[in-house]
Amino acid sequence: MAIVRFLIKRIVAIILTMSGVIAVAYVMMYYAPGSFFSSSQIASALGQLAVQDPHAYQVTLKMFEERYGLDKPLWEQVLKYIWYSLTFNFGNSYENPNVSIISQLKVALPISLELAFGSVVVALIIGLPLGIIAALKRNSWLDYTLSTLSMTGQAIPAFVLAVLFILLFGVVWPGTLPINGWGTFGNVVLPVLSLAAPNIGTFARFVRGSLIEVLRQDYIRTAQAKGVPYWRMIFRHAIRNSLTALITVVGPTFAFTVVGTVWVEDIFGIPGLGKMLASAFGNLDYPLAITSVYLLCMLVMVTNLIVDLCYAWLDPRVKLE
Amino acid sequence: MAVVLEQSPAVRPRPQSRWLQAWRRYSRNYFAVAGLIWVILFLLTGIIGPWIAPYGYADTDFLNVYQGPSWQHIMGTDNLGHDMFSQILWSTRFAIEIAFGATLVSFVIGVILGLWAGLAGGITDMLIMRLVDFMYAFPSYFLNLILVVKFGRGLLPILFAIGITGWAGYARLIRSLVLSLRNSDMVEAARALGASPVHIARKYVFPNVMTNMVVALAFGIPYDLTAQAALSVVGLGPAPPMPSFGNLVANANANILGYPWLLYFPAGIFALTLLSFQFVADGLQEALNPKGGN
Repeated sequence: MAIVRFLIKRIVAIILTMSGVIAVAYVMMYYAPGSFFSSSQIASALGQLAVQDPHAYQVTLKMFEERYGLDKPLWEQVLKYIWYSLTFNFGNSYENPNVSIISQLKVALPISLELAFGSVVVALIIGLPLGIIAALKRNSWLDYTLSTLSMTGQAIPAFVLAVLFILLFGVVWPGTLPINGWGTFGNVVLPVLSLAAPNIGTFARFVRGSLIEVLRQDYIRTAQAKGVPYWRMIFRHAIRNSLTALITVVGPTFAFTVVGTVWVEDIFGIPGLGKMLASAFGNLDYPLAITSVYLLCMLVMVTNLIVDLCYAWLDPRVKLE
Repeated sequence: MAVVLEQSPAVRPRPQSRWLQAWRRYSRNYFAVAGLIWVILFLLTGIIGPWIAPYGYADTDFLNVYQGPSWQHIMGTDNLGHDMFSQILWSTRFAIEIAFGATLVSFVIGVILGLWAGLAGGITDMLIMRLVDFMYAFPSYFLNLILVVKFGRGLLPILFAIGITGWAGYARLIRSLVLSLRNSDMVEAARALGASPVHIARKYVFPNVMTNMVVALAFGIPYDLTAQAALSVVGLGPAPPMPSFGNLVANANANILGYPWLLYFPAGIFALTLLSFQFVADGLQEALNPKGGN
């Protein structure tokens, strides 16, 4: 029963938080200088109209405002967006008035999810063995090399790495791997690698630290004393215990990666949620901007919830509260 | 025989100060020392850069666009004929303003809220910590985007946008330090011996808090530098013609297939800088908190 109460509490908290975020974001964007109609391609077309036929210009603007409910009082608009977020129906964007945002999301969201999950999985596959090796050979040259490499990965942001990849595979060895677009397996490689590199460092360093900690524990000495073979001791006794704590790092790392998809998708021209967000902020297309921020944040918060559940499941000492 | 009890100062070794010990440990880490040298160079460049820049950051030379490195433009020119070397010098200044300004803003907010939560306790503590949890769970990058859209793309709006979203870690750290120090045995013992609050603060609280703060700040700076450059990626960096490393990298990315050398200097210097700050932070952590962290 504790788990049901915990879930209800957390889900209510997520809904309240997201409603608050949407309200604040909407109000700030509402009062921000400039608007979609003054900053995009539409502006030039409308500008011509304003000169040629001021009356028609006013009518068109009015039509737009009515269509998106911009003529209503602010609180009504805010409530509308909160309602949108609760019902997962986000209306239409300014940029593509004839296509509902939700149908755009059906294409964009899976792509971003694939990138984010893919890179976390790749980072785990590479980072775990590196961390384990570094811990078992600690204070050797191998450990120092791996630790330095991990730190390098953590320090260089994904967007710098992505541009460096484009330099490598677009200019130095053109044609080996695609650097733009989406759809084939080759398209996945570079974005996933640039997102995974910082995570590899994070995981490797964390596993190294926690494994060294575990190897100092009494029960490891007991296992050694009663003659458990070395590798069996490492895998069955030590690593299993140090991995439980890793779950707590996976959550924030995933959040970090979700944010990273925004940059990487923009740089590699991938039609995902991040690219949508970047162009929406560029055009001041507020419905689209708020929707994409909302979804990316939801992704992060739901992942954190899942991580907490997993942690409680893996470690019986943890109580859900 | 009281004279015998007083040892001559030459015999008793002077106890090393903890900062000297820390420096000993720090200087053994070659990466950290190399990082420190680069960071110092970077800081000096940021301070004097705009005076030694051969061109202004907004100077364009339309006869010399997309130049490779030459004696006239030692790092080449970009699509508008901006001198890359001057742009990098100005970017360094901007990066330092953001790095230290934004980190200071976060730090001040974090210290105030952390102290308040730790000292007040009760419902105040709970409310502040809820806010901290929220700031942790919420990706601050999106808040940065919204804040920059609202308040504009100048130095101060960007600085504050990054600053007021990044304080959660400091607040949590300060609060935990306050709670653990207030109930610690050494403070208890000093109080029992009749030490004045000033003495306790100076001898026990301050050194403990200082080391932790220095490490936290050192990790905060590369984080804020990255956050600033990340805004440029989606076109919300400082408004042109103001250069920043993020803007330079983004611009190089737009022209990369035809003019790849636009990327070399900005991306290289920016990556080296972030790496150096990271090495310095890591070195400080190991030198100041030999037990904590990994």
